[in-house]
Amino acid sequence: MRVAQARRFVISDHPLPWLLPLVAILLVFTVYPLIYNIWLSFHEFVPRRRALEFVGTENWVQLWNDTRFWQSLVITFTYFAIALVFELVLGMAIALLLDSDGFGFGFLRGVLTMTLVIPPAIVGMMYLLMEDPQFGVISYLLQSIGLLNPNNPILATASTALAGVLVAEIWQWTPFMVLIFLAGLRALPPEPYEAAMIDGASSFQIFRRITLPMMSKVIAIAVLVRGIDLFRVFDYVFVMTSGGPGASTYSLSLYAWQQTFSFVKWGYGATLSLVTLVIILVIANLFIRIAKVKW
Amino acid sequence: MNGSFSTRMLRTIAAWVVVAIFFFPIYYWTSVAFKHGNDIFNRPPKLFAFTPTFDNFQKVFGISLGSGGITVTPGGGNFYMAPRVWDSIVIATLSTVLAVAIATLAAYALSRMNFRGRHSFVGWVLSTRMMPPVAVAVPMFFIYKNFGLIDTYTGMVLIHALMNLPLAVLLMKSFFDDIPSEIDESAIVDGASRFMIFRRIVLPMAKGGIAATAVLCFIFSWTEFLFALTLTTTSLKTVPVVSSTFVTSIGTAWGNMAALGAASIIPAFIFILLVQKHLVRGLTMGSLKQ
Repeated sequence: MRVAQARRFVISDHPLPWLLPLVAILLVFTVYPLIYNIWLSFHEFVPRRRALEFVGTENWVQLWNDTRFWQSLVITFTYFAIALVFELVLGMAIALLLDSDGFGFGFLRGVLTMTLVIPPAIVGMMYLLMEDPQFGVISYLLQSIGLLNPNNPILATASTALAGVLVAEIWQWTPFMVLIFLAGLRALPPEPYEAAMIDGASSFQIFRRITLPMMSKVIAIAVLVRGIDLFRVFDYVFVMTSGGPGASTYSLSLYAWQQTFSFVKWGYGATLSLVTLVIILVIANLFIRIAKVKW
Repeated sequence: MNGSFSTRMLRTIAAWVVVAIFFFPIYYWTSVAFKHGNDIFNRPPKLFAFTPTFDNFQKVFGISLGSGGITVTPGGGNFYMAPRVWDSIVIATLSTVLAVAIATLAAYALSRMNFRGRHSFVGWVLSTRMMPPVAVAVPMFFIYKNFGLIDTYTGMVLIHALMNLPLAVLLMKSFFDDIPSEIDESAIVDGASRFMIFRRIVLPMAKGGIAATAVLCFIFSWTEFLFALTLTTTSLKTVPVVSSTFVTSIGTAWGNMAALGAASIIPAFIFILLVQKHLVRGLTMGSLKQ
């Protein structure tokens, strides 16, 4: 009788058996780390005793007074904003350009997809080579047109290092925007355009007044999905600059990672990664509310 | 948009130029994979005029493409990376299977069953996608250490499956939402159980969606860096992680690294072309349909 009851439950309309594996793995791998991080942020590893000790709010006080942390916060936001603006504007421009049924356009869209499947760590290495001051092709190009001083290697100069990393980022993820915007453009109804043509609107007016408003949902989703990843940037800075020179490319994720694994500051690393998490959650959820993104 | 012949011509040329600029780094990188050392370190950089060589590929994959056809010379050399490619394939494949299996079950319930809190549940799944990897990797490192999961397939498969679950659940839900629920309802009237409907009717109808989900999970695992860097040390490593080991104290083995990088792009690119139809839906976690 029990077996039959259990069987009926499993094949029933109750969602629990269906959701159980998902809930189990999400609890173990997200909720538990979250609690562990919070616990860890009130402790610190003491090398001389080789053990974790309770330190109260010391890590949080340290965080508040840590100029490196505030610097990395500024760098992360700068990276986030510049990359997002470039990817959005370039992505929209290229999408408008490629929105055609002409011969070869399908092929061109396919080629653009390529950048998305390369591991970001390998993209970082690619640009490390191309931005090498001696034999890098980008450096050579910029030097020969006089835009770059040969004595200032792109990635080893504090003022240009972040730009050097951003080039890799923008190269890899602009096509992401292009593909999303193209799908959005292709789904737009033709009627408003026909009406605008008859009224003699200029193509810029058409873009401002018709395309942009109708694409707002698509743009909001692209911003959300890309924005989440941008804020957690790690791969490029890790392989290209390791945060240097000085602290000019330290992102929050990299700073947190290094505190934990390079400097054995487990408690402080956990504090930093918690802060990163909270910032992302707050911004992303605010954005979802304001832009009314729905899943 | 129908312009005159010359505007169409201009647009076509502009499109090719823009895509060529984006393609150039891939071409350059691939060309480095076929270059001898002195051609890589030439100034000005050699773009087209160099003598191609398979040396880099031979060293990295242990395959010699000499006059006697293809022979395999395993082992040896710091830059012999065939086992690392194998590690990447195993981890990506198994984590994909796990993520897709769990996600299809959950997505079916989220798509078909009405229960209290369903909307917030979807929101919770989405919010786990926002967790910075570093906030998961740090605690997981200590837990893995206690359970002996560092450097194991099990550990990497679990963490990559987790990473892909939010995407897979939301994406599969959007594919299930496309299938009219009247089909389920009529089958229930005929006396079929939920699970039977799921397995015999809904799953076969969502085949294309499952394939697209699987491809994206595979690629995200294949390209993932932070977890692989943190949770593996020596005996197990994935391709993105070993790419940084080509940097040595006596210089960087660019040619070998490029060979590994160029070869690692090909399978992922073929996969993604197969599901191009659903690509945008996948990249936006199911919220935009093509």
